[in-house]
Amino acid sequence: MALRPQRLHQLAGTTLQSSAKRQRTMSTESYMKDAFGKYAHYLNELNDKRERVVKASRDITINSKKVIFQVHRISKYNKEEVLEKAEKDLAAVMGQYMSRLVKELQGTDFWKLRRAYSPGVVQEYVEAATLCKFCKTGTLLKLDEINSTLLPLSDPSLEPLQINVLDYLLGLADLTGELMRLAIGRISDGELEFAENICRFVRDIYRELTLLVPDMDDSSEMKTKMDTMLQSVVKIENACFSVHVRGSEYIPLLGSSDPSYYLLGAPDIEL
Amino acid sequence: MKSAFRNAYFTLSRSLNPNPSPNFPFSLHTISAIPLFHSRIFRPLSTATPPPPPPPPPPYSSMADGAAHALPPSSSLEKQFEDFRHQLDESGSLRERIRAVAMEIESATRLMHANLLLVHQSRPIPEVLEKAKVQIEVLKELYSQLVEVLRECQGHYYRYHGDWRSETQTVVSLLAFMHWLETGILLMHNEAEEKLGLNTSEFGLDIEDYLIGVCFMSNELPRYVVNQVTAGDYDCPRKVLKFLTDLHAAFRMLNLRNDFLRKKFDGMKYDLRRVEEVYYDVKIRGLAVNGDSKEDQGIPGQS
Repeated sequence: MALRPQRLHQLAGTTLQSSAKRQRTMSTESYMKDAFGKYAHYLNELNDKRERVVKASRDITINSKKVIFQVHRISKYNKEEVLEKAEKDLAAVMGQYMSRLVKELQGTDFWKLRRAYSPGVVQEYVEAATLCKFCKTGTLLKLDEINSTLLPLSDPSLEPLQINVLDYLLGLADLTGELMRLAIGRISDGELEFAENICRFVRDIYRELTLLVPDMDDSSEMKTKMDTMLQSVVKIENACFSVHVRGSEYIPLLGSSDPSYYLLGAPDIEL
Repeated sequence: MKSAFRNAYFTLSRSLNPNPSPNFPFSLHTISAIPLFHSRIFRPLSTATPPPPPPPPPPYSSMADGAAHALPPSSSLEKQFEDFRHQLDESGSLRERIRAVAMEIESATRLMHANLLLVHQSRPIPEVLEKAKVQIEVLKELYSQLVEVLRECQGHYYRYHGDWRSETQTVVSLLAFMHWLETGILLMHNEAEEKLGLNTSEFGLDIEDYLIGVCFMSNELPRYVVNQVTAGDYDCPRKVLKFLTDLHAAFRMLNLRNDFLRKKFDGMKYDLRRVEEVYYDVKIRGLAVNGDSKEDQGIPGQS
């Protein structure tokens, strides 16, 4: 660990150790200039790297968003092809942009620059990947699974980039917002059971996260996410509820083959 | 059928209003019909009413789409979150230990600071430094404890960095001030690490923390100058001004981001201006020592 401090040692060690001796011969100005030249170099490198990471992260965000939109194009009839395309796009995000990020981040950079890449990788990529997986299989994409797809991107001699638990959980919290949209869309499309499945799934996630929030490093961010998440859960539940209650009035009226029921129910609708 | 759902959807956008819309009164027929025809649909609703629902077994097993395996994911899902909980528990207790050490560091620096403040009361510098230096040993010990704790989680230096960051900045500022009082030159990054026993590659002193600490030190200088002049050391402003001008010039070599360090650096010019004012006041009254007789002495405050 501590690649950077170490690097500076190499840079600074030779010239600076003798600074005490040199104070007689050198003006204070130049010994400071020497040292600060090195600090400037370090800061420049760090900032450049941070910028590159932010850029890569932003690309991941944009393209993961596209994947999410693609998933929302799902309907009863085109499920397979929509998801296939989404998965292909997701793989492209991984191959093109994530690999760029992975190249930048090594060792201590994971945590040092976390703020720079966390929003892109976390909020969007984890979200897109878990959303795809859920639509396909109805299960939660696990952190280990995501991380195993990251492994091949890294240089085997270096410590590989792995998404950490905190980022994964933040991504999951965002996922529920997308699932809420998906559920509402499915309901209006008549896929009630799919919506109910989403509902159950989201509740499970919410419940599990409730237990974890107090332990998280930076729990204030997560707490606001939990509030939004609860709103999403409630929205889905209300939507399911409404369809059960009100939908039950219509399904038989329009689709039932029972004529007597049709007649009895008919006077009630005045659309 | 589809349009019926759509209607339902439109009403559900207002669904928080529990009153049935006047357009759709519940008739006796429909209500009595519901249990008959739709008991299947209503069942999950009743399990849903208690607020924290346990992951319910699916009331019906066949799913229209692929999203069918509701039960197995729940258990494996729980397994994963269980693991997360362990991990987070561990990192939480680690953080507590780090915080504990950081708090001790803080109280040691406070003692050190209190000792150093005596320079403003014109106590002889060697005496002041001697007392303050006692704390350096304490700090060294505390930092070695910190290194020990962090050895357990290699590579996570910056994960917990925030927990000792501000303390370390204060430490650097005090060390730099002491070093300047002693030698009249700036404490360098590697020297600061050395003083704290941080020469290992596993736990370095972050450069930005070092630089922020140096900025903190500069905040101390105007007060020092004012008090030295009051105590009769008229040469002090010249030396401090020289040092601070050089320091400011050195900082200007850095390309800073719009962050805390930048803010602290921006504050440095006010220290510089204050020292300039003191120097001006002393000089214009002819109090300043003429000539450069003491130039090469390089030790401030020893008049």
